Amino acid sequence: MPDLLALVLQQSINGVYLGCLYVMVALGLTLIYGVLNQINFAHADFVTAGAFTAFFVATRLATKLLGLPDTAGYLLSIVLAFGAGALLGLLINAAVFAPLRERGDELRPLIATIGVSVLLENGQLELFGPIPYQFDSPFTRETIRAGRIFFTQQTLLVIGVTVAAIALLYAFLRLTYTGKALRAVAQDRETAGLMGINPGLLIGLTIVISSALAGMAGALLGPVLVLTPFAGASVIVKAFAIVIIGGFGNLEGTIIAGLLVGIIEAFTVQYLGSGLIDLVVFALLLVMLALRPTGLIAERKEENV
Amino acid sequence: MLAALPWVLHTPYWRGILVVCAMNVMLALSLNLVLGYTGQLNLGQSAFFGIGAYVSTILVKTYHWNFWLAALAAMGAAGLLGLALAAFAVRLRGHYLAIASLGFAVITYQVLLNWESVTEGVRGIYGILPPRGFGSTVALFYLVAGLAFLVYLVLGNLVRSPVGETLRSIREDEVSAASIGINPARWKAFAFGVGAMIGGLAGCFYPGFVGTLVPDAFNIVESFTMMAMVIVGGMGTMIGPVIGAIVLTFLPELLRGFGELRLMIYGLALTLVVLFMPGGIVQAWNALRARLA
Repeated sequence: MPDLLALVLQQSINGVYLGCLYVMVALGLTLIYGVLNQINFAHADFVTAGAFTAFFVATRLATKLLGLPDTAGYLLSIVLAFGAGALLGLLINAAVFAPLRERGDELRPLIATIGVSVLLENGQLELFGPIPYQFDSPFTRETIRAGRIFFTQQTLLVIGVTVAAIALLYAFLRLTYTGKALRAVAQDRETAGLMGINPGLLIGLTIVISSALAGMAGALLGPVLVLTPFAGASVIVKAFAIVIIGGFGNLEGTIIAGLLVGIIEAFTVQYLGSGLIDLVVFALLLVMLALRPTGLIAERKEENV
Repeated sequence: MLAALPWVLHTPYWRGILVVCAMNVMLALSLNLVLGYTGQLNLGQSAFFGIGAYVSTILVKTYHWNFWLAALAAMGAAGLLGLALAAFAVRLRGHYLAIASLGFAVITYQVLLNWESVTEGVRGIYGILPPRGFGSTVALFYLVAGLAFLVYLVLGNLVRSPVGETLRSIREDEVSAASIGINPARWKAFAFGVGAMIGGLAGCFYPGFVGTLVPDAFNIVESFTMMAMVIVGGMGTMIGPVIGAIVLTFLPELLRGFGELRLMIYGLALTLVVLFMPGGIVQAWNALRARLA
């Protein structure tokens, strides 16, 4: 295989791997936006909380207390991080989104979630300290070789979990009655309420699902990021960029944009250096907003632009 | 009263906090023009603060400009960048503008970080002196507080003038404003430009006060802090951001006894204010007075 082709393939795989991680973070943001028209800045700290939950489950609870092998421990930690995220989602819905929902304001919930984010970030700083934790996934130990391309089991695991999460989310939204009701609430909250749907309950459910996805994203990101209380904050701004590039509230757009950003990032590292990643991604964001403010896939809600 | 403050809070530490407070008042006022009066969700104000700091410092240190000329140039540079951001504000609304302005602040921060031949990147610029004649903390406080007061007067007159009416009409309903002959694009550019210039002006005094300059001081978190000041005080009022800036500068200092917990309390306070005092301190105070009267 020629060098260039191998390099392109290798960086594409790295890019898809990164992209899947971003998609996992961005899916929750876009879901909340689609249903509530709100931005949740505390999403970052749910990712961090998921990463810490996964760390303690994988390195302490599962392996030391339950005596599980470390691979099973890491898989269990992904599930429990999902649960931790769901719990935080329940709390932020009760504390912020539910009380502010009826005021129809786009600024105040945003500020309130910034407040919650500061609270959670510093709470985790108090609990875990500023020194990075060493969180290794047992699936990174062995490298898989295909011709001249290398990747680890972790790459396959992350791609697999992301695909499964997206498939389940779509199945839920398209095939179940609750999913249908959720889409109705996203389209028109008041009319959905008149049809006997409880919008408050479904909005709460949306936030819980989004936050659970954030927690799970944390478990997958833990071994990639420098695991400190600021871990989530380091990816969230990029996740916002992805949500915008994909078109706010548009799931397909978010998935495509997440993968695209991952791939662009991999090639930026290869050709321009890792210091320029954020610069390239956000320049793309601004170009995108200037040329096509509705996102990759045009959105139907015209009043946002 | 303002003049007596450095003698009431007379330790070097508290005098330093006073300078920071005066700078924060200026920043909160600058953001309030865009956010409070024109209704534009701007999360990028930290960029203009940073541009003001870097442009003025580099002109003084590398090109040996006079500080005041450099400050004017820095305000001009920040104002031009404000116009660039306004170009996005003309096309985008609400959350889209919020994220675009956030992206704008991230790009500015990354440029400061990566353009090492000019900004020194993470290594930072050292040994920066305050403007000549304002070497002592007290003198610097009088200077910055005086300028903050001047900004307050100018903006106060501006928002009471027909221009203020125009900006508010864009905030309330852009389409209706356009229908009575107001050009929203032009006035948004005006608000962003003026807001950015004032943000840049505040930035000119920061490096001389701290003595060093690193990009981290202009992280997007700074934008959130400014926004918190405007909201907690009461946005769309003149006195609100001033109160917000004072409260949120002193609150973390007074909470220092709580150690690491103080920032948690700060976050909690921000959330509670939004939940229970939606119009900020100003509105809560007016409501309280109305009830007592």
